[in-house]
Amino acid sequence: MSRKQPIRTGHPDVRPDAASHVKGVKQGNSTGNLDKQAGHLPDGRSTARRSTSINPGMHDPIDPDMPNLSPA
Amino acid sequence: MTTRTAGRGQKAETARELVEMSWDPITRIIGNLGIYTKIDFKNREVVECKSTSSLFRGYSVFMKGKDPRDAHFITSRICGICGDNHAVCSIYAQNMAYGVKTPPLGEWIINLGEAAEYMFDHTLFQDNLVFVDYCEQMVKETNPSLLRQAENTQAPNAGIHGYRTIADIMRACNPFSGDLYREALQVSRVTREMCCLMEGRHVHPSTLYPGGVGTVATPQVFTDYLVRLLRVLDFVKKAVPMNDDLFDFFYQALPGYEEVGRRRIMLGCWGAFQDPNVVDYDYRTMNEWGRKMFVTPGVIVDGRHVTTNLVDINLGMRILLGSSYYDDWQDETTFVTHDPLGNPVDQRHPWNQTTLPKPQKRDLDGGNYSWVMSPRWFDSRTGDYLALDTGGGPLARLWSTALAGLVDTGTVRATGSSVEMILPKSAALPETRLEWKIPRWANTIERNRARAYFVAYAAAMAVYFVEQAMNEVRAGRTQVFADFDVPDEAIGCGFHEAVRGVLSHHLVISEGKIANYHPYPPTPWNASPRDMYGTPGPYEDAVQGLPIFEENDAESFKGIDIMRTVRSFDPCLPCGVHMYLGGGKVLKQVHSPTFGNGAGG
Repeated sequence: MSRKQPIRTGHPDVRPDAASHVKGVKQGNSTGNLDKQAGHLPDGRSTARRSTSINPGMHDPIDPDMPNLSPA
Repeated sequence: MTTRTAGRGQKAETARELVEMSWDPITRIIGNLGIYTKIDFKNREVVECKSTSSLFRGYSVFMKGKDPRDAHFITSRICGICGDNHAVCSIYAQNMAYGVKTPPLGEWIINLGEAAEYMFDHTLFQDNLVFVDYCEQMVKETNPSLLRQAENTQAPNAGIHGYRTIADIMRACNPFSGDLYREALQVSRVTREMCCLMEGRHVHPSTLYPGGVGTVATPQVFTDYLVRLLRVLDFVKKAVPMNDDLFDFFYQALPGYEEVGRRRIMLGCWGAFQDPNVVDYDYRTMNEWGRKMFVTPGVIVDGRHVTTNLVDINLGMRILLGSSYYDDWQDETTFVTHDPLGNPVDQRHPWNQTTLPKPQKRDLDGGNYSWVMSPRWFDSRTGDYLALDTGGGPLARLWSTALAGLVDTGTVRATGSSVEMILPKSAALPETRLEWKIPRWANTIERNRARAYFVAYAAAMAVYFVEQAMNEVRAGRTQVFADFDVPDEAIGCGFHEAVRGVLSHHLVISEGKIANYHPYPPTPWNASPRDMYGTPGPYEDAVQGLPIFEENDAESFKGIDIMRTVRSFDPCLPCGVHMYLGGGKVLKQVHSPTFGNGAGG
């Protein structure tokens, strides 16, 4: 074991930065995308639409003054 | 139990009879740490100590070219026990680089997850790993007369924790059979669940991102957290007085034990738990939001704060070489010449570091002997490069918070000389007030004692955080993430506390990719070897000059006082070293005494 040979490896077929973002591809984190999320209100509150698209209005609180607590 | 490679050569020197003794690897810690000492048994003193690490990683180089948004997922893998600290710190650095701020509820969720992590990790380390050094079995082997004394010493707080004598406490610490040992395993499971509730997964969080969290903030998730928190409060309320009894006994029974592991008070704390009402992750206002953190950052020298400014802390960081297997990077790229406030940034600052590994044979006689570099903090008042330690984490955190006197949440209050914690009523015990007072020394016992108190600190903070989070939910403010664009060019830095001490991540983005990334966790600070000025690292400094209280002679020496000292720093070597072998080829075979031993944790 005193004269250890280097580990034999194949030729790399990707560059080290292959895992980085490719320009032009849309990013989910981009500004403006939050506004497109259904059920998220601009003031930071949310409605039942955030959790379900099946009759979401049915799952909102019966009194509009009540906080809208997300079911999940 | 303690592993010893005895008989590595016993060398007699003319002036003092020194015996070389080494422990490589040190067990019950994470990673590969070797402690090499020269001991004068006649005078019962450790004369010289060198700490080495034969473990190397590659983070600082293979992060280059990656998408910066992946940084927290990748760097979380640095550690198998405090990976979420790395993820959070990376997110702080990314938030600064992207100019995004996490919504308040998201910030409370991160704080809750981190509080659970501190409770989990400290409990596991203290009760299942540190206490093995103080358990009946170990004390019987190293200090039989001390155990006899413990049998006859009443525990002052027996009414709270239920152990009548100090020896009863020691018996409860016996690994696998002791009550405390087994109960701590259960507690660390429950606290880990708490972390999972907030961060999705432990130890590599799946719901933490720059700009917020993916945790769905339902009332249920906070209730689940609170139920578990209340379950462990009884344990915490008993653990603190029990730790006090045990450690006070060592001071009483072994006069002079305060000298074990004692070093000059040079502590660093980078702050933890952001206050969402203040933090905006802008470097230019970092001092203001840094001081609002619920663990106050600071550099403490000789018992006084040198600074509590995160900007000063940041600019004072220097990564020195001297005994490490690296080439100098003085002539390499300077990524950041000035910080956003216009202050010059040193070439030895993590923002400008280029890691140039140079594998070589270990040379403990005046040569290079460790993969750990030597981070130091430049004290501009004196021009000294201070080898700060973290006191295992809790000692520096409590000390800095207590001295600053800025934290007051109702459950935790810093007074200027102490930290008061109030834990609410739980199943077996009423509301309990605990107070950690600034100790006289930074030594082995105080590092360990602070750990028990910090579990209470984190628990009291968690109570406050749950209330704040529930207030947000009840008000209907359920937003937990914000959107952002990744800039082409940016820099960022994150300051946080890993469980065992200071944690910083420095990030440079160029062309939308990572150009430079350097995490500096606690262990490079604590385990650092002698730097270019000859200043020993904290482990070496704490062990050198250590008086020996073990009753065994050189033949059956276990080195228990040395082990207690090194473990009091909560060593975690996987975060100690980040390197990469240039062309992906081993250049030279290097010393690797513990192949396969570092797999745990």
